[in-house]
Amino acid sequence: MVYMVQSLGVGLVQALLLLVFAPFIVGLINKTKAILQKRQGASVLQEYFDLWKWWRKPVIVTPYTSKIFILAPAVYFGTTLMAAAMVPGLLVSGLQAGSAGLSLGDAFVFVYLLALGRFFMTLGAMDSATAFGGMGSSREVYISVLVEPAVMLAILVNAMRYQSTTLTRMVIDFDTFYFTVPAVLTCVAFFLVMLAENSRLPVDNPDTHLELTMIHECMTLEYSGRLLSLIHLGSMLKILIFLVLFSTLYLPLAIPVAVKVLFGALVIGVVETLNNKMRLFKVRVYLAAALILLIVSLIAE
Amino acid sequence: MENVKEIKVADLRAEAGALSEGGKHPLAAMFGRDETAQGKGYALYVVLEIPEEKRMQVLKAAVPVDGDLCYESLTPILPAAAWYEREIQDMFGLVPVGHPDPRPLVLHETFPKDFHPLRKQADRAASPRVKAGEEREIRMSVAHGEGIYEVPVGPIHAGIIEPGHFRFSQAGESMLQLDAKLFFTHRGLEKIMEGKTPQEALPVVERICGACSIANTWSFCQAVEKIAGVTVPKRAQIIRTLLMEIERITNHIGDCGNIPAGVGFAPAISLGGRTKEMMMRLQERLAGNRFLRGVIVPGGVAMDIGASLQQDIRETLAKAEKNMADLAKMFAEQENFQNRINTTGIVRHQTAVDLAMVGVGARASSFAHDSRRDFDYGCYPGLKFAVVTQKSGDVAARLAVRIEEFQESLRMVSQLLDMLAVDETVLRVEITKAVGEDWGISESARGSNFHYVALDSDGRIDRIFIRSASYPNWPALPIAVQGDIIPDFPLINKSFELCYACLDR
Repeated sequence: MVYMVQSLGVGLVQALLLLVFAPFIVGLINKTKAILQKRQGASVLQEYFDLWKWWRKPVIVTPYTSKIFILAPAVYFGTTLMAAAMVPGLLVSGLQAGSAGLSLGDAFVFVYLLALGRFFMTLGAMDSATAFGGMGSSREVYISVLVEPAVMLAILVNAMRYQSTTLTRMVIDFDTFYFTVPAVLTCVAFFLVMLAENSRLPVDNPDTHLELTMIHECMTLEYSGRLLSLIHLGSMLKILIFLVLFSTLYLPLAIPVAVKVLFGALVIGVVETLNNKMRLFKVRVYLAAALILLIVSLIAE
Repeated sequence: MENVKEIKVADLRAEAGALSEGGKHPLAAMFGRDETAQGKGYALYVVLEIPEEKRMQVLKAAVPVDGDLCYESLTPILPAAAWYEREIQDMFGLVPVGHPDPRPLVLHETFPKDFHPLRKQADRAASPRVKAGEEREIRMSVAHGEGIYEVPVGPIHAGIIEPGHFRFSQAGESMLQLDAKLFFTHRGLEKIMEGKTPQEALPVVERICGACSIANTWSFCQAVEKIAGVTVPKRAQIIRTLLMEIERITNHIGDCGNIPAGVGFAPAISLGGRTKEMMMRLQERLAGNRFLRGVIVPGGVAMDIGASLQQDIRETLAKAEKNMADLAKMFAEQENFQNRINTTGIVRHQTAVDLAMVGVGARASSFAHDSRRDFDYGCYPGLKFAVVTQKSGDVAARLAVRIEEFQESLRMVSQLLDMLAVDETVLRVEITKAVGEDWGISESARGSNFHYVALDSDGRIDRIFIRSASYPNWPALPIAVQGDIIPDFPLINKSFELCYACLDR
């Protein structure tokens, strides 16, 4: 019981901490991109201003929607926040979680919490019955069908290695696995999957105003005000969660997690500058490449 | 005006069909005119290009006012006439019988049905707007069937662009059919220029389109000069040609930077945008404004390009050339970008010929249409340049044509700068009162730009018809997108770089 309360407390603190820093990380990615494109770019704090701006604006909802439309952003944000509480390697490792018996969550719960949020987002987008909402939902589901097995495999590689599906367990034993073949392969594969899962280039373009080409943004077109701000905050949090996960579980470098997260954000900025968006139906080839890497590393493991 | 053949309206279709020789002589323009003030009726003009003789053939058919105001549609045999006939129907109320798509084009359903603004007695005040959809039904062309759904886009878009409504008929991500409703911001420019002298109308002509002000003014002034029978001084011709090529360079590099925006290829967008800005600043140093307005005037040019400006042009273009080389290298090395642009948005050669496409769009489908070669004007007859064509007709081809034409323009600019070194000071001849009608043509960055001007006995404009390069190319877009997927539409659209303002004249 004490462990449980302790675990919950740690999780909550961690989730709020990540939430506070998430807009900064996205701002950092945007700044990196701007500098690489020889632009001055917006301030790294711009995302905070945007969130505050949307938060103060009125919410406009068409009368043709059901309750799902209002519910979806809340579920999306809520599930992402819960997932943020489970991410290993921040406070947990500092508290010597293993010896303290702390357990924040299971890898499967983590993956399907995010899936639940995504499911509600697609429902919400379809609820308004606009052409773009439907189009965005269909594309989002197409991508997630491909991403999900890849994420699961990436976690399975670790589960095999550590003989556990508890995220906390995986981190603690990480030290011994620097620069093995499977570690490097999963690192690359997870990075590819991370870009797809978070609607970044070359799968989706977060900067575009071309509604016909959008995937994730397409689903948010009907949302305004606080609902929009929740969705965006959820998406930013998700990027940070994945970056932390990438840093703690997959990036085999012996440096502090915070440094690795910043490094990961910079790499995303570089990758997004070097790449353009691929054809929609080429995404499966891209994700198949990630899957193959993961299968090879699973065999090597 | 030379080569005008007055025929009966009943013979118009047969004559035009025979003259076109299956697309060998493309339709340059078709327009109406109200000649009731001259004691006649309405007139229909069909203008066909005869490139091998470097001339136009004009067919003119009178339509009596007291008749049934009908004529046999040319569209079934000359598909390129489709939009012109719909426009004449809106503007003059002359009905093309047998037109496959007689929906209104320019005047949307918010205008009363019997309002035809280019008739001389048209009264705008007596024809208040109606509510679209109630009195006049809006009909979009859509596909039907199980699983087919429609995606409406616009007229207000997410980006800062002009208004246009696109209706996609979709089977999943595949575009089965596209119908575009354009002409949302019709400005009535042709109407407001009536009764003005050419000099008074010039500022309006310069503002038809922000991207092609040299091309528009040149076509217009050419028509006026032909009516007046004056010869433009040599130095003025050199300056006009020089500015035209600078305008083309500015547009081509801007378009090359805009196409990657369709696929989110950021470094290329930045480089293209930066270089275009550099060119526009050069234009500002040359003309005092970023759009090269106020330079070309009837009878010549209003300013000279002195030695220091010539040096400025050389230096700026050297930088632009380097940037364009970098950009082309960026395109070539980005495999993912090549994958997006190849085989996307194909316009077949026959489609380009049938629609009488012009400019980059035509030349990318191996239809070598170029007014600089096909007509004698400016300094082009004395310049060495190649008409660039590509075979594949896709986005990659249109991009490649622009990159190669950029090089050709640089070659021309350097020849023109050498010609400017010759000492000559006459820049302009005076045009007193001119009476009559004639046409002018110039090759803008997007293709041939055609103007027809008729001046009345006071030397004032009785009728002006403006056909910019985007007009014949717009109808190719819905054909090019068929079979591609909808996320590719912005890319295909950008590869044509069609202008809305050129339609909304």
